[in-house]
Amino acid sequence: MPPLSREQFKFPFYLIVHPYNGYWELKYDRSRRSSLALSFVILFFLAVTNILQNEYSGFAVRIVNPDSINSIMEIVYVFVPVLFWCVANWSLTTLMDGEGKFAEIFASTCFAMIPLVLVNFPWIWLSNVISMQEAAFYRFSSHAAVLWSLYLLFVGNMTVHQFTPLKTVWTMLLTVVAMGFLAFLGLLFFSLVQQIVAFVATLYQEIDLRR
Amino acid sequence: MLNRLRRAGMYVITAAVCLLGMGAGGSAVRADAGDTSYQYSYWGETVASPAAYLAETIWNGERLGVGAFKAPSDMHVTADRQIYVLDTGHHRVVVLDQEFKPVRIIDSFDRDGQPETFNNPQGLFVTDDKHLYVADTGNLRVVHLDPDGKLVQVVDSPQSELLQANFQFQPVRVVVDKARRIYVMAAGVFDGFMEFSADGAFTSFIGANRVSFHPIDYFWKMLSTRAQRSQMVMFTPTEFTNLDIDAEGFIYATNGESRDSVKKLNARGNDILRRNGYFPPEGDIRFTITGGPTRLVDIDVGDSEMYSILDASKGRVFTYNGDGYLLYVFGGLGHQLGKFDTPAAIERLGDDFLVLDKALGEVTVFRTTDYGRTINEAVRSYDRGDDEKADRLFRKTVNDNANMEFAYAGIGKALLRKGEYAEAMKYFKLSMDQRNYSKAFLLYRKQVLRERFPAILTGIVVLAACAFLWRKYRRMRRGKKVAATQQRAV
Repeated sequence: MPPLSREQFKFPFYLIVHPYNGYWELKYDRSRRSSLALSFVILFFLAVTNILQNEYSGFAVRIVNPDSINSIMEIVYVFVPVLFWCVANWSLTTLMDGEGKFAEIFASTCFAMIPLVLVNFPWIWLSNVISMQEAAFYRFSSHAAVLWSLYLLFVGNMTVHQFTPLKTVWTMLLTVVAMGFLAFLGLLFFSLVQQIVAFVATLYQEIDLRR
Repeated sequence: MLNRLRRAGMYVITAAVCLLGMGAGGSAVRADAGDTSYQYSYWGETVASPAAYLAETIWNGERLGVGAFKAPSDMHVTADRQIYVLDTGHHRVVVLDQEFKPVRIIDSFDRDGQPETFNNPQGLFVTDDKHLYVADTGNLRVVHLDPDGKLVQVVDSPQSELLQANFQFQPVRVVVDKARRIYVMAAGVFDGFMEFSADGAFTSFIGANRVSFHPIDYFWKMLSTRAQRSQMVMFTPTEFTNLDIDAEGFIYATNGESRDSVKKLNARGNDILRRNGYFPPEGDIRFTITGGPTRLVDIDVGDSEMYSILDASKGRVFTYNGDGYLLYVFGGLGHQLGKFDTPAAIERLGDDFLVLDKALGEVTVFRTTDYGRTINEAVRSYDRGDDEKADRLFRKTVNDNANMEFAYAGIGKALLRKGEYAEAMKYFKLSMDQRNYSKAFLLYRKQVLRERFPAILTGIVVLAACAFLWRKYRRMRRGKKVAATQQRAV
């Protein structure tokens, strides 16, 4: 794996302002290993941003119940939805003639999260020096970050799968539905496994007691 | 063996210390008189609180020497502390002085030379100049007697095109404002309170409750035919359950809804109650399904905009300040002193509370504890604008009860007026008061920027100069490098 050069650190910033060229480069021109490594770095920063946001945001913009702060859950809340999205998107697009490989889908999704980090991270500290009237700016920029990310996600999906815009919108909506199915199947699976484990445990107990 | 015992002992002690530590961390409350009550924290958790009121004694008809009460339903305390108890089952009004000595009993009055009595009266009101108004429910009228017990007027069978032809006037509760307008809560009326002018003529309805219905019912109604719909129950606004009037003439009313169950009505009938507290002023916010939500049956307005509501489902009295912050809770259902069976009415007697129990025919007297007096006085001082005193009393309140989040805002406001912004921010943060925190913060930021302005400006100038010099230096070096390469090329 090549060492992360200066150019490689600059690439994500290039991608978020030139998404069409950036995603094209990400799919066809760049080494997969380095983009995957960068993807994990981005996810890590996103989790860190969320954790710090809960802990250090200004009182004028956010009140968090100290009992509810849980850094491990924050990490899970970042990784699990992204993973769900990627799995659902991959499962759908393989059936819908998408050209994207799983690694490409994952990288494009992670790169789309960059605005969430870039915008929200400085606001953690800025929010400590604003009043409630100025909190409108805080809210505006965090909403803008979400919209920016959604746009990147859209362009990323379109480029990675080589879809038309309309088909991309459809796939993204269907992906959300598929995520629901995945969650349902996951719950079903775990609940069934739990039942089986409980059944075997009871069986063992019965035999043990009758011996 | 001994060793093992000692080790076991050590475990027990460690466990006990851990448990103690947990308890100490949970809620620091200094119990005042051993009795405790509760509060709701900002997060909606039930937290411990010292008792603000303790039951002192019970007065029933026999002890008063007027014969047992039978299903008394209403009570009123006048400005000179005379207590009027409406003994519904015996169709009479018992007047007591503030030491609970019977003054007189009103059970009949003279109308055109004929003696007349009440029939199952449900509500009464006494004006500041001692005019008595009785909602004489069984006789379908409101009776107005002067201080000597002489009949002034009878309000009955109101006439208006707003009323249906078969309308039957059944007054249940009554209040009278300073201009002697009479407001009547009547049974089976969904349009609000009935307002009568001083001479007893019906003028209008005010303050109707909003119609509330279940979306599913609405859905079925949409699907049904006109014939089916006519057979269904109509969506009607809920009735009020009680009312009281404050010194400024605002009507405080309770109803049986689950939301907005307390209202403060102005002369036009608009609800102007401030709901700025952590939770809307509607009694318990946490309850079991079987315990049911709070069912409000009476409301009493005190001075400084403080008001108390009586919950019949749990027998509790909740007191709020004018902004809607919960101050304290007392009472309950049970058989001990300070518990009730069927609480029907509350009144303030000075700083004390009287609670009337309908089924037992008793009046329970609650007296303030030191903690309760401190809160009452703190709220009053704050309302008067006496910040100095309010600050001192709020500090005493949080000293008695660290869970009283609302009191920290009081301290913060006093500090804000004094100009100690950083300290004020700290207290507003403790009371989860974002609005006032933001106010204090803006002033603090201005103060800091003004103090440090020379330093900040100098810093900016120095930084700009450094950046300028750095760029110049870089350009110079690059120039040299270029020159050097050119030289080499040559």
